[in-house]
Amino acid sequence: MSATPPVSAAPLLQIHALSKIFGEIPVVDRVELSVMQSEIVMIVGPSGAGKSTLLRCVNRIETPSEGEVLLEGVNMAGELRGGKLMPDRPTVTARKRRRIGMVFQRFNLFAHLSALDNVAIGPRRVLGMKLSVARALAAEQLARVRLSDHAMKKPAQLSGGQQQRVAIARAMAMRPVLMLFDEPTSALDPELVGEVLEVIRALAEDGMTMLVVTHEMQFCREVGTRVLFMDSGRVLEDTSPKEFFRAPQHTRAKEFLRRIHAVPE
Amino acid sequence: MDGFDWGAIWYAVPYMLQGTVVTLEISLLAMALATLAGVVFGLISASDLGILKAVIRAYVYFVRGTPALVQIFLIYFALPRIGLELTSFWSGVVALAFNSAGFIAEIVRAGLQSIDAGQAEAALSIGMTNRQSILFILLPQSLRRITPPLTNEVITLVKSSSLLSVISVTELTRSAQVIIAAKFVPFELYAELAVFYLVIISVLSWFSEFVEKRLA
Repeated sequence: MSATPPVSAAPLLQIHALSKIFGEIPVVDRVELSVMQSEIVMIVGPSGAGKSTLLRCVNRIETPSEGEVLLEGVNMAGELRGGKLMPDRPTVTARKRRRIGMVFQRFNLFAHLSALDNVAIGPRRVLGMKLSVARALAAEQLARVRLSDHAMKKPAQLSGGQQQRVAIARAMAMRPVLMLFDEPTSALDPELVGEVLEVIRALAEDGMTMLVVTHEMQFCREVGTRVLFMDSGRVLEDTSPKEFFRAPQHTRAKEFLRRIHAVPE
Repeated sequence: MDGFDWGAIWYAVPYMLQGTVVTLEISLLAMALATLAGVVFGLISASDLGILKAVIRAYVYFVRGTPALVQIFLIYFALPRIGLELTSFWSGVVALAFNSAGFIAEIVRAGLQSIDAGQAEAALSIGMTNRQSILFILLPQSLRRITPPLTNEVITLVKSSSLLSVISVTELTRSAQVIIAAKFVPFELYAELAVFYLVIISVLSWFSEFVEKRLA
């Protein structure tokens, strides 16, 4: 990562009154969130709280039912013209998505491509780089996640931890300004969790802005600059990790922490 | 096998070989057309192109819901009405391709949709459009799954070409029928005809197994 751009005063990401309703049920319920550059926002809460859906609404893998998402002041849904929102064409949505990287619980590496080409295909096909240039960039990104020795392997030949690191490299190769991590270690064997968290920690230290849905409370406490606690689609707490683990405000949050044995210090 | 007319069998061979050539020509041409159209139609079926998609769905519905024989007659008599004066050979090619493309479209669509949804999500997440996701991620992965049903479809197409005898294309079946009419040896000639088709289909099956192994 080159020198980080100067931290600007305007929020990098603004989420306003965001809801996602499946049938009658609001899975994400009027969420408000404003994220400054280089913030590491940890999103925690019981399963079914809407954490993943919130992330997926940010990059519009899921289309929000209501509300808006602004990235660097740009509305992810469309353009305002005379007070009316003109929805983007799919190609415009795709272009806006490049600014946001995403890492999935189940890695979702492209099964037919080598680790190297998994990382290179975005720069090649989306950014239109020459194959040789895209591969050089991909090799650089793989080196950052310490997988240079495995560049030619197919996903099936890699461990879960290695696959997830390739997935992080794939997202980073697009030079995003925001990274979304959707339970990045939940599908991993316990002994492989550490290597993935280390990579995410390194990105955080480089100043990458990120939203991380996680159940790793230790990691959340150490790396997060901010914690959101979600339950039933709502953000119930939005505070510092220290405060959250020391003195959670809501009963739901206290219950949640008790259940996962993260006893307040 | 008393009274089996071996003479008629040998007499028919050169005519049947000529018919075989026509059957192969028609099948190859129809197959090429059908694969081209079928893959494009299948990609559209799996895409987000609303109106085009609906048109393809209606077309597939029609192809699946009507007999190939009816489709052949329909095309043979419909084409001149819209100003397309084709020989019966080319009407046959178009009719077979029309039929087969519908099934190939379904095979391709099912193949694409059998790929884990996470693959398409990952493709979108790095900024690919739907079209790029289908072309660069989903299609390459579904090729292996598509090959076996596609092979079946090709075999069906070759066998269906026998139906073109009804619009007097002198392919393999028609060649046999002509000799039957002249010599009145139906049993011998239909038996011989069956052997000819068996050989053609066997060669095709052997070839497709070879291709499948290469793809695996």
